[in-house]
Amino acid sequence: MASNKVDAKVVLLGKSYAGKTCLVERYLKDRFLGETVPYQNTIGAAYGAKTVNIDGHSIVIGIWDTAGSERYEAMSRIYYRGAKAAILCFDLTDKSSFDRIRFWIGELHQHEENCKIYLCATKCDLVEENPERRAVQDSVAKALAKDCMANIYETSSKTGKNIDELFEKIAEDYVKEKVAADELEQEAIRIAEIGRKAHCPCS
Amino acid sequence: MAAHGEADQLGTTSDSDQGELNETDAPGKSEDAILFASDDFDNLTYEGLAEEAQKPVQKGTIHAIVRQSSNDVDSRSNTPNNIDHDSSEVSAGEESVEETAEQAQITPRADNTEVPDTVDASRIEIEEEDAYNPEWKNQKKHVFILSASGKPIYSRHGKEDKLVTIMGVMQALVSFVQDAKDQLRSIVAGQHKFVFLVRDHLILVGVTRGMDSTQQMLLQLMYVYNQVISVLTHSSLNKIFKQRRNYDLRRLLTGAEKFFDNLLNLMDTEPGLLLTAVRCLPLDSSVREIIAQSIVQNAKLKDLVFALIIVKNQLVTLVRMKKYYLHPMDLHLIINLVNASESFKDAESWTPICLPKFDASGFVQAHVSYLDNDCEVCLLLLSVDRDSFFILSEAKDKIKARLIRYNALQAINASIKRTSYSTQQCGIPDLRHFLYKARSTAQYTSPELEAPYTEPAEQERLFGMYLYLHHRIHTSGRPLKILFHVGEYETLLGWVTQGFELYAVFGPLITKTSAIHAVNKLLRWIKREEDRLFILNSVTF
Repeated sequence: MASNKVDAKVVLLGKSYAGKTCLVERYLKDRFLGETVPYQNTIGAAYGAKTVNIDGHSIVIGIWDTAGSERYEAMSRIYYRGAKAAILCFDLTDKSSFDRIRFWIGELHQHEENCKIYLCATKCDLVEENPERRAVQDSVAKALAKDCMANIYETSSKTGKNIDELFEKIAEDYVKEKVAADELEQEAIRIAEIGRKAHCPCS
Repeated sequence: MAAHGEADQLGTTSDSDQGELNETDAPGKSEDAILFASDDFDNLTYEGLAEEAQKPVQKGTIHAIVRQSSNDVDSRSNTPNNIDHDSSEVSAGEESVEETAEQAQITPRADNTEVPDTVDASRIEIEEEDAYNPEWKNQKKHVFILSASGKPIYSRHGKEDKLVTIMGVMQALVSFVQDAKDQLRSIVAGQHKFVFLVRDHLILVGVTRGMDSTQQMLLQLMYVYNQVISVLTHSSLNKIFKQRRNYDLRRLLTGAEKFFDNLLNLMDTEPGLLLTAVRCLPLDSSVREIIAQSIVQNAKLKDLVFALIIVKNQLVTLVRMKKYYLHPMDLHLIINLVNASESFKDAESWTPICLPKFDASGFVQAHVSYLDNDCEVCLLLLSVDRDSFFILSEAKDKIKARLIRYNALQAINASIKRTSYSTQQCGIPDLRHFLYKARSTAQYTSPELEAPYTEPAEQERLFGMYLYLHHRIHTSGRPLKILFHVGEYETLLGWVTQGFELYAVFGPLITKTSAIHAVNKLLRWIKREEDRLFILNSVTF
């Protein structure tokens, strides 16, 4: 599912009610409706895009906010295929959502090797408000992040904490990789040109 | 109602002054139907359902693609992590018992012997069952879905996991009758009707004390069953239960409860589901043509099967691929999907949906977006190419631009605001309300609900009268063509021909003769308005 208009495809995965839609809502529209609008589970997947500027590079991030319901898991591949980055969301107050993260890591390793993984612990405002509600210990989450060589962010869509940082990091990583890839390509062209000159029989 | 009523078949009486019904051409008739109902309410019998289950799979390239894609998904869902972590969410903790029962499933009686085990008496005493709650008992209509092994899947009222006992009883009843090589269809107890539908691995039960007939309840259960299929597909439903007969299907249906709730509410208020017909948003035919052409010109894509615009449960336009038709029941599921989901309003969505009448074996992908800021005009593009989101998204932008350029979006919005039409506009005194269905196009029209049907209770009563009239006319044993029924508060006239079905409600004092004059006049009025009220041309890509 590629489009020439989108540079970096980002997909959000995770159990339902982990807060994926609110995260995207905060990032794209800078608002939080979790307290005024009753919970609505996503159907299929919703798409949104945003243009960001990183070191003079203007890139378009296409964000796929997927449904967390289990019945979509079997066909989730159509949503994460070709993604540059995956944000795996879990709810800090719900242990089962964290347990689901390993499934997604396995899935991505198997089918999308080139997709970078970012762990995102959501609803940190709830935990800050009442530490007893924390169901996922910091150390456990960090250990998992280390395991799969991923960055981990504790976010709150309500306060907006760490959300811009998360997407900025994704965009930076993407630009860095792209610049490196471009340089590599140019180098390859140069070498090819030099090679051609050296072997040109007419000179 | 029957107490005050006197039901006559007009055709058989010989009153000279009763007037003649002119069975002319049915208004809204079209040879070129956009919707195609291959079946009819009259065919909806238990025998008919059994036949349908055996019907051959659809042929054609599109169906081949649909099936292929579902095979892709199926082969993936074979991976152990999808089926085998059924642990914490199981309701009654009977897992180990059922595991052994599963191995012994060669005997059909295994189902029965399981039942006492699934009901843990001590647990029920502690957690109060919904069934003892008077509020629950007083609900007018209940609908339950349970698995063939008696596991609760859905209940319209109350929480299904608090209804383990009652579902166990239902499963026992069904399998007891099955044991005798027979089929349980319905039970009547006092004011209540219990209607059972057993399909594949599911048992659906409807309980009503309203006006619904057994056959009408069966139709509603069919819709509910189709809704399950629409979310999961028939093939994966079969696969799941073949692998694990005692699977807790609620896991796969989380988040889909609202589709069932919404569908059942629609069925109690929206006559279209009863008539298996859709209502069209009234629009000038020239505007409708512009809308259809906007879609054809900008979305002529290889794998796009259906493109449609829906506004407030009404169809604005439908463009289809040649040779492929949409069944009104499938369209109602699409309308239900849009109606029940708030999440489409926030962003463009890309979601799988199975259309059971079109192809129950796989999904098509739906691109869903709203074309206006108020989120009322919903465009759906249904494709069999799962990678075509961006192509469809581009098509949507172009369609939207063209609709704005030609003021079509404005026309749609104006039609929404204007409300449909008043009964008075038909110019027939004493006519209070009516439903008119053009059979060839599976579309219907009806005026706004006005006094005396402004209060919900009165609207419910009106709907009950339509149920009664519809039931009387379609009774499978003795179908009627015409029915004139005098009730306490109103007089009803039902008339069914090859081309149409008309159900009209008059004041209580109208005579037969004037009622007949009135419906003849009404038909002429509908004929004059048919271009606006119905979609008569089928547009294809």
